[in-house]
Amino acid sequence: MWHIAKREIYDNLNSLRFALTTVLLLALMVTNAVKHLREHPKRVQRYQDAVTESLNHLTDRADDSLYTLAQYGPGNFYKKPSPLHFCANGGESLLPDAVEVGEPPVFMTDAEGNRLLEGIWSLSYPDANLHNKNVGPKVSQVDWAFIIGYILSLIALWFTFDAFSGEREHGTLRLMLANSIPRHTVLIGKFFGALLSISIPFALAVLVNLLLISTANTVHLTTEAWGRLGIIFCLALLYTSLFVALGLLVSARVQQSAVSLMILLLTWVTLVVFMPSTLASIASSFSPATSFEEFWKQRHPIKEDLWEIYREGRSSKSEDRRLRAKSEFYTKNAERDERKHEERLKYRSAQVHRARAITGISPATLLQHLMEGFAGTGFERHLQFVENTQRYTRQLREFVADTDRADPESLHILGVREGMSEKPISPEAVPRFEDTLNLSKDFNTAAMELLLLTLFVLVLLSGAYLAFVRVEV
Amino acid sequence: MLKTLIGRELLDNLMTFRFAAAVFITLLLVVANTIVLLKDYEQRLTAYNTAVQESREDLREEKTYAGYSGTLVAHRPPNPLSIFNLGLDKQVGNKIEVYHAFVPTIWDAEKHGMDNPFLNLFTSIDIVLVFQGVLSLLALIFAYDGLAGERERGTLRLVLTHPIQRGYILLAKYISAMLCLLVPLLISLLLSIILLTTSTTLALRADDFLRIGGIVLTSLLYVSLFYLIGLCISALTRRTSTALMLCMFVWGVLVLVYPNLILTAVDIVPKPNAQISVHNQIKQMWEQLDKENKQFIRNDGVLSPPSRGGEDLAAGFGLEGVEYTFWQDEDKPSILLYFHQTGLYAGKIKAESEPQVPPVQNYYGFYNRETINTVERTWLVRKPALEAIYVQPANLGRMLLRFSPVGLYDAATEAWAGTDLEGIQDFFGTVQRYRRAVVDYFYDKKIFESRQWFAADKGTADWDALPQFSFHRSDTGINAKRALPDMLLLLTMNVILFTVVLLIFVKSEV
Repeated sequence: MWHIAKREIYDNLNSLRFALTTVLLLALMVTNAVKHLREHPKRVQRYQDAVTESLNHLTDRADDSLYTLAQYGPGNFYKKPSPLHFCANGGESLLPDAVEVGEPPVFMTDAEGNRLLEGIWSLSYPDANLHNKNVGPKVSQVDWAFIIGYILSLIALWFTFDAFSGEREHGTLRLMLANSIPRHTVLIGKFFGALLSISIPFALAVLVNLLLISTANTVHLTTEAWGRLGIIFCLALLYTSLFVALGLLVSARVQQSAVSLMILLLTWVTLVVFMPSTLASIASSFSPATSFEEFWKQRHPIKEDLWEIYREGRSSKSEDRRLRAKSEFYTKNAERDERKHEERLKYRSAQVHRARAITGISPATLLQHLMEGFAGTGFERHLQFVENTQRYTRQLREFVADTDRADPESLHILGVREGMSEKPISPEAVPRFEDTLNLSKDFNTAAMELLLLTLFVLVLLSGAYLAFVRVEV
Repeated sequence: MLKTLIGRELLDNLMTFRFAAAVFITLLLVVANTIVLLKDYEQRLTAYNTAVQESREDLREEKTYAGYSGTLVAHRPPNPLSIFNLGLDKQVGNKIEVYHAFVPTIWDAEKHGMDNPFLNLFTSIDIVLVFQGVLSLLALIFAYDGLAGERERGTLRLVLTHPIQRGYILLAKYISAMLCLLVPLLISLLLSIILLTTSTTLALRADDFLRIGGIVLTSLLYVSLFYLIGLCISALTRRTSTALMLCMFVWGVLVLVYPNLILTAVDIVPKPNAQISVHNQIKQMWEQLDKENKQFIRNDGVLSPPSRGGEDLAAGFGLEGVEYTFWQDEDKPSILLYFHQTGLYAGKIKAESEPQVPPVQNYYGFYNRETINTVERTWLVRKPALEAIYVQPANLGRMLLRFSPVGLYDAATEAWAGTDLEGIQDFFGTVQRYRRAVVDYFYDKKIFESRQWFAADKGTADWDALPQFSFHRSDTGINAKRALPDMLLLLTMNVILFTVVLLIFVKSEV
C-alpha cells in the first residue's frame, strides 16, 4: 500500500500541477499573512483604546459614589479581537464589536431642563455598524477559511480526477491489478498518495504564513492559539480528504478523465459556491423579521403599568414607600428594556441559526463554521461575547447590592439617590469585565458539525470503495 | 465549406455528454435561484410598500410644517433587475429623510426595519453570478480539446489535407462552440423570464427587456472570452490532459483567486478619519450660524423674555400655549454629517401672546433661510470629502477587478441592471432635487415664515399641496452608455485573443 502511495507522490511531485499548486497556495498565504500583520495591530489598538476609555468611565463613577455606579453602570463592553483572525474573519466587519451600556433614560424634566425622573442604565445590543456605508465591491477576504474551503478543495479534485480514469486510459490500471494486490489497498494507497501530495504544498504555505506572522513582534500567539491552529490544520486535512474521496469516487466510475473532471467541477461549483448562498436565501425567507418600528410599537403601551406603580407610590404619605415605588419603577423599566433587546437579539439569532443549520448540508459551509468556531470569530463568538457581558452585568449588580448592604447609613433602596449609599468606593474592588474564550466550550459547540463532516468523508470513501471494487477494468 | 465545418463541429459538440451536462446544470441553478430571488424581491417590495404607506400616514399626522423633519421620507424601491445582478441594491440604505437642514446622500440613507442585519453574514446570489461561475467553466470545457484533441486523434491532419484555410477551421470551431454555449444560456434565461412574468408583483417593462438583452449580450462576450482563452491554451499544448489542467488552473485564478486576492492585498476600506478636518470645518459653519442666530435674537428686543438674556430658545419665546420645544442635532463624523435645528410646537396660542407671533414668524423666516444657506456652504466641502472617503476606494477596487474578465462582466451587467453605484446615485440625485423642490415650494408659499410653521391653531399644514416624490430608473440609453466601456473592453480582449489563437494555430505544426 505504501508502495502505491509513494508511487503516487513521486508521480505528483514532478507534475506541473504540483508546481502551480505550490505557487498558488504560497501567494495566497503570504497575502493573508501580510494583511494580518498590517491590520491586526490596528485592531488591537482600537480595542485597547476603547477598553481603557470604558474603564475610565467605571473608575470615575466608582470614585463618585456607589449610587452613580448603580445609575450609570460601567462603560461599554468591547469584543476582544481574536489573534486567529487570519484563519477565519467570520464576517467580523458585519457584526457589532460592542455591547452598549445605555444612558439612563430621562422620564421627566422641568421647564429649566433639570432632570426630575432619571432611571438607571440597561444593556443594549447595537445592530451592526457602518457596513452599508461602504459602496465598494463585495468580495470574500482571503483568509484560511477561503483558502481551504475554495482553493484546497478545488486542488484536491485537480489531483484526483484522473486517479483511476487516467490509469485506465493509459492501461496501467490493468497492469497494477494483475499483481496480487487487493483492490482496497490500491484505493487506500491512492487516497493517501493524493492526500499527502496535497498536504505538502499546503503545509509549506501554512508554515510560511505562520513564520511571517510569528516573527513579527506586533502579533502574539499564545499556546492556546497554537493548539487551535493545530486543530484547524487537522480540519483542513479532513475537509481535503472529503474532496479526495469524491474525486476517487467519480474517477472510478467514469471512463474518460475529461468527463470525470467535468462532473467533479460542476459538483464542486454547486456544492461549494452556489449551495451555501441559495440555501441561505431560502432559509432566511422562511420567516420575515419583525420590523424595528413594530418592535417599538409593541413595547410602548405596556409601559403604562410601570407608570401606575410610580403614581401610586407618589401619592403615598410615607417617604420610604415613595422611594420604594420610584426604585421599582426604575429597575422594572431597565429590566424591561433589557429584556426587549435580548428578545430581539434572540429572535434574530434564531433566524441566523436556522439558516446556518440548513446551509450545513454543504461541506464548504460546515468547514466555514468550524473554522470560525476554532478561530474565535464569527456569529457564535459574538453570541458568546454577549453572554459574557450578561454574566458580568449580573455580577456587577450583585456587587452593588452587596456593597450597599454593607453601608449602615443607606436605606438599601436601589436605584434612587436618597435610598442608596452615597460613599465613593474603591475602583479596585469593582469586578472587571473580561472577555474570555474557552477552547473546550468551542469544541462542544463544534462537535455536531465535526461529526457531520466526518460522516460525509466516510460515506464518500465507502462510496469510492464500492465503486472501485465493482468496476470492470 | 465553412458550413460543412460548422455542421460537423456542431454535431460533434451537441452529441456529447458535456453539452447535456451543461444544459442541465445551468438550468438547474438558474431556475432554482430565480425562484429564490423572486421571493426575496417580493418580500423587499412588500417592505417598501408598507414603508411608503406608513410614512405617508406619519406625515399626515403632523400639524405644523416644522414637523416634517424625520417624517418626510423618500423610499428607494427595489430594482426588479436586481434578480439578474444584485449589485448594491440590497446593501445600500433604502430610506432617506428629506429635510432642509442637510443634503441627502447615499450614506445618510437607512434601511427600513424589516430586515435582520445578521443575515448579511451569508453570501448573496444572483443570476449573473451563476453565469459567471458556470458558463465560464463550460466555455473552457468546450474549448480545451478543440485543437489539442484533434491533434491527438490525428483528425486535424486529415482536415488540413483538404484545401481549407486554417482560419476557417478556427472560425468554424468558434461559431459552433458559441452556438452550443448559447443554448444553455438562452434556455435558462428564457425560463427565468417566464418565471418572472408569472409573478404578479414584479412587472417588467418594455425597456427592462432591452436591459436584459444587454445583459445577454455581455454574457455572450464574457463566455466567448473564456472560450478563446481555452482555445488559446489548447493551441499551445500538445496534450489534452495538460490543456484541461491548465484551463482549470486559469479558471481558478481568474474567477476565484484574483478578485479576492487583489482586494485583500490592496486596502480599499473607507477611512473617514482622514477627513476629520472637514467635519470640524462643517461644525464651525454651524457655530457661525449659531452666533448669527443669537445676534438676531439679541437685536430683536421683542422676541424673548429679558431674564434669559435673549439667548435661550427653550422657553419658546415666552409664547403662551407652546406645548414643547425641541433641539435636534446630528453628529456623525464617519459620514461628515452635522447639523442642529431648534423649533417649537404650539397647539393653541393664547390671545395675550398674539402680538408676539409676527416677530417669531419673522425669526423663523430668518433662521430657516440661514440654515439653508449654511447647508449649501457645508455641501460644497462635504461632497468632495465624501467622494474621497467612500467613492474613490470603491472605484479603485472596481478598477482593479477589471483586470479579470469577471470584474468586467460584473461591472457591465451591473450597469445594465442599474444596480451599480451610478444607478443607485441616480436615486439619491432625484432625492436631492426633490429636497430642492420642497425648499423652493416652502420659499414660494412663504411657509418658512408662516404661522403654520410652528403653530397649529390657525390652519394646519397642507401636505397634499407639497410636491410629490417620484423616482424613475434612468433610460436604457444611459444604462447602455455606462455599460459600454466595459463591454468594449471585453470585445477588444476577444478580438486580441482571437488573433493570438489564429496566429498560434497558423504557425504551429500539425
